Amino acid sequence: MSDDPRHAPRARHGRAPDVFRPGGWVSMKEYADHETVDFVIVGTGAGGATLACKLAEYGFSVVALDAGPYFRPLEDFASDESEQTKLYWTDDRIVDGDNPLQLGSNNSGKAVGGSTVHFAMVSLRFRPEWFKARTKLGYGADWPIDWREMWAYYTEVEQALKISGPVNYPWGPPRPRYPYRAHPLNAAARALARGCEALGIGWTETPLATLSAPRGLAHPCVYRGFCVTGCSTNAKQSALVTWIPRALSAGAEIRDLAMVGRIETDANGLAAGVHYHRQSKWHFQKARNVVVAGYAIETPRLLLNSANDKFPDGLANSSGLVGKNLMAQANQAVWGEMDEEVRSYKGPPSLAITEHWNYEDEGKDFFGGYAYMSQGPLPQLWANTQATAHGLWGARLVEEMKRYNHVVGLKIVGEMLPQEHNRVTLADELDQYGLRIPRVTYSWCDNDKRLIDHSIAFMSRALGAIGTKNIWVQEDDTCHLNGTARMGDRPDSSVVNADCRSWDIPNLWICDGSVFPTVGGANPSLTIQAIACRTADRIRTLSRLGEIRLN
Amino acid sequence: MLDWKAERGAGEPYPGYDVLAKWRSPSWNDKTREVVAARLKAADEPRFFTREEFETLIAVADRILPQPAPRPPIPVAALLDQKLQDGVMDGYRAASLPRDGEAWRRGLRALDAEARARHDHGFAKIVESDRDDLLRCCEAGELKSPAWDGMPSQTFFKHRLLRDLVLAYYCHPISWSEIGWGGPASPRGYVRLDFNDRDPWEAAEAKPGHEADALRVNRNVR
Amino acid sequence: MERALGAPKVAGSKGERARAVQSASRSRWGETETVMAARRLNRAAGTLAASVLVDSAVEHYRGSFKNKAMFTPLVVAGLTLAMSLHGTADMRPVAHRARDTSYLLAAATGLLGTGFHIYNVTKKVGGLSWQNVFYGAPLGAPMAILLSGLLGFCSERVRANGRQRPRRVFNLPAGETVATVTALGLLGTTGEAGLLHFRGAFHNPFMAVPVTLPPIGAGLLAGAVLNGGGRTRRLARRWMRLLTAMGFIGVGFHAYGVSRNMGGWRNWSQNILDGPPLPAPPSFAGLALAGLASLELMREARDA
Repeated sequence: MSDDPRHAPRARHGRAPDVFRPGGWVSMKEYADHETVDFVIVGTGAGGATLACKLAEYGFSVVALDAGPYFRPLEDFASDESEQTKLYWTDDRIVDGDNPLQLGSNNSGKAVGGSTVHFAMVSLRFRPEWFKARTKLGYGADWPIDWREMWAYYTEVEQALKISGPVNYPWGPPRPRYPYRAHPLNAAARALARGCEALGIGWTETPLATLSAPRGLAHPCVYRGFCVTGCSTNAKQSALVTWIPRALSAGAEIRDLAMVGRIETDANGLAAGVHYHRQSKWHFQKARNVVVAGYAIETPRLLLNSANDKFPDGLANSSGLVGKNLMAQANQAVWGEMDEEVRSYKGPPSLAITEHWNYEDEGKDFFGGYAYMSQGPLPQLWANTQATAHGLWGARLVEEMKRYNHVVGLKIVGEMLPQEHNRVTLADELDQYGLRIPRVTYSWCDNDKRLIDHSIAFMSRALGAIGTKNIWVQEDDTCHLNGTARMGDRPDSSVVNADCRSWDIPNLWICDGSVFPTVGGANPSLTIQAIACRTADRIRTLSRLGEIRLN
Repeated sequence: MLDWKAERGAGEPYPGYDVLAKWRSPSWNDKTREVVAARLKAADEPRFFTREEFETLIAVADRILPQPAPRPPIPVAALLDQKLQDGVMDGYRAASLPRDGEAWRRGLRALDAEARARHDHGFAKIVESDRDDLLRCCEAGELKSPAWDGMPSQTFFKHRLLRDLVLAYYCHPISWSEIGWGGPASPRGYVRLDFNDRDPWEAAEAKPGHEADALRVNRNVR
Repeated sequence: MERALGAPKVAGSKGERARAVQSASRSRWGETETVMAARRLNRAAGTLAASVLVDSAVEHYRGSFKNKAMFTPLVVAGLTLAMSLHGTADMRPVAHRARDTSYLLAAATGLLGTGFHIYNVTKKVGGLSWQNVFYGAPLGAPMAILLSGLLGFCSERVRANGRQRPRRVFNLPAGETVATVTALGLLGTTGEAGLLHFRGAFHNPFMAVPVTLPPIGAGLLAGAVLNGGGRTRRLARRWMRLLTAMGFIGVGFHAYGVSRNMGGWRNWSQNILDGPPLPAPPSFAGLALAGLASLELMREARDA
């Protein structure tokens, strides 16, 4: 039989793959479908895996399902961009709106570990004011969580992932020292630094979830540069090699290649379990609590696809907000050529960062902020950028590609504002499981455009200041997906409360980037994991108070 | 076997560099060898496309990514055919596009129909400048024959045609050598990361007047 | 045991070594004692030079010898090592001009190298930052060749004392001077190990050893200089032996570190450079050997 984890599930028969040993296994507790578990979690990415680990460690019975395969990075990952698209969520989806999103790579994952298996590892804390964006900064919405509480959970996640970061972080309130030291800067990162120094703003080494020294059986980074196509050395501290092994040893079960199609509710209007597709059959896992952690497209899709007579508009949707307020982040870039050889393919792509425009509000004609980072596109990504964003083809493209080793670029992660008409809905077409596929509608608002214009002008100056030639702008790109099931203080203006608990169905929880009321100008993964840690603590507290369904 | 490489050099930025020379080095692991070996065996005969569609595709690919004569060409069309046959998709599409394979079939048939309407010959039989003109019209969204069946030629060009062909070309080791990329890198990654730094297992760039040095260094890259 | 350790490893024949040991035990006041002390220092200088030779070869290879000056420490450390071997084998009670010159050259190289390394670090974007101190040219490394040169030069001065007592260098008491230089060297080397182990986040508890034991050793040497009691000296001597062992055992730990990186030894072309530096820990051994020599000099001077 084939050992291709994409064809047959690996986590079965009381064992799961050992991600640290080729061909290895670790033991895994298993539950029968008819056994009612405390928590069934849909999705094992930054939200689901973290929560599964913490809940299992707190003694709850947990089954976490993922639609994707269970990889062992050391043996399953090739140094190859094409092959590694196997990490992406490439099921059929429709995009529309004025600025249709590009999906399938930098904003989705279909694997145990979710998109953390191929994320760029940038692990930033939010600016404290963003948690009260409406009150303190005048835009978006307030979070129902205080930043000081988040600060402690950020620390927990940074320790759990052994984040490699600068000795002193230049922005925001003090934070504990990062557990591991920053990586050496590559030339692309030094170019960013030179630009910042020329324009008189701060920069630093990017806090990254990749090891700068050994950790257990995980190797330190070898600077191979394939980070966003999957790390084959386990240096990347993805959920697959951090939270999930911990979850397994605490007694959680992980079910790979298990696509959840519908959440069942009982006569009382409570969640009763999930219908999932595995090995060509539909199964039903009974659970006392259901957690949806499918990220900002699959989460609302599942809630909407679970509509029934009692909840005709989908689950947890009395506010009508499920699927709405989808927020990508702006991901515009400025590119150019240096005389020197840069060879940005070496090392993690974003070794240096400036959060200046996240923390500085003077001189802005827009709400929100952005960070920008150095870049290291591999050939396919770079060629596609040159073709579709720069408009090159024919001999011009082939010749321009020969300058690859001299290319330098700066790219933002920029805040986009929540808008109700940016949303996930269901299309009429069906996917391979017979489920309605999502339609993702996205249009930039004027504030988004002003932020983008500001960033492009600034980064162009930064590249110009270090003698970069042939500067051009990549205008249309986004990254990350958040919103679509926002948290808040009131049932009519949010989908879940601060504990990620549905207002409508008290044993239905949502724990991923969907709950973000705003996105800030920072990569969301650290915040998603911090929220999951907080949710786990809240669940433990509530269960002690008898406020959680556990029988 | 590698004679064509001897002719390479003039004007090439990385003369003599062959990323495949590292096949047995610590830069390549088993999984990488497995997937690249499969790619190097791409069949000449189409499995997804019909013979006619495939010929149109070859003619299109030849204009999007023209290839220099002395070296063996990258089988761009065959690589795309293989990908579509394997059902590897992008995972999203504009509302106006059908799924990847269907978009390609319709687009190629439409380009062929446009060529026949203008030049009385199929796309594969018209001269290069006419092909380029037609592709530019496609890029600009000016092609509107009924054969497009409502699919905007501009959207097809940018999100399917250009993207898929470029990805096919730059998934091939010959293109990696051409641009001086280090190629696969695991377990061995890189040590020297700063400006103008180069590990001994990376391509050396030909500096004006020192092309022979680069050629000599690149022949020893392992 | 002490004498076995103190015997010249590199001296030609077994007979020669036996003679040296015998003569040392026979003649407390004789020239041979002086030569023995000098040879111990030659050996310490040589151990340091060997560490520098291999370390700078590896690190400057990593730096692709972009600047021709990067060959300098290889040449100088190689020469210093050769001179130290020569000195260790040499039983004559007179300073040697070629060795003297070579040692002075080593010391000068250390000073110049430090200047080069400071320049390298500060010219990088970010200047004197953690990033550049971690990953730029190591600021402390050239000090090792300076120390090697100093110790070697001291050995020649000691040797030139002949029967004169107490032995002096630079018109200072020899034992105390060498002990002070060694203690400072130990502290500096601890600083470098501490910096690099901090870079490695002290991920392995054993990484604390080379930042804990050597400063204690430096303190004991200082104690021996200041109060001069026999007990302090004996404790210091034991500690120097411990540090010598630590220096060589450290190579084993670093070899394990290399094997532990991605691809292990099969990926040696990367891991020798990116993993923990194999030749670095013996610099502690070199200094500890100098410490032993200084203690011996002090003992002879004070017990006289």
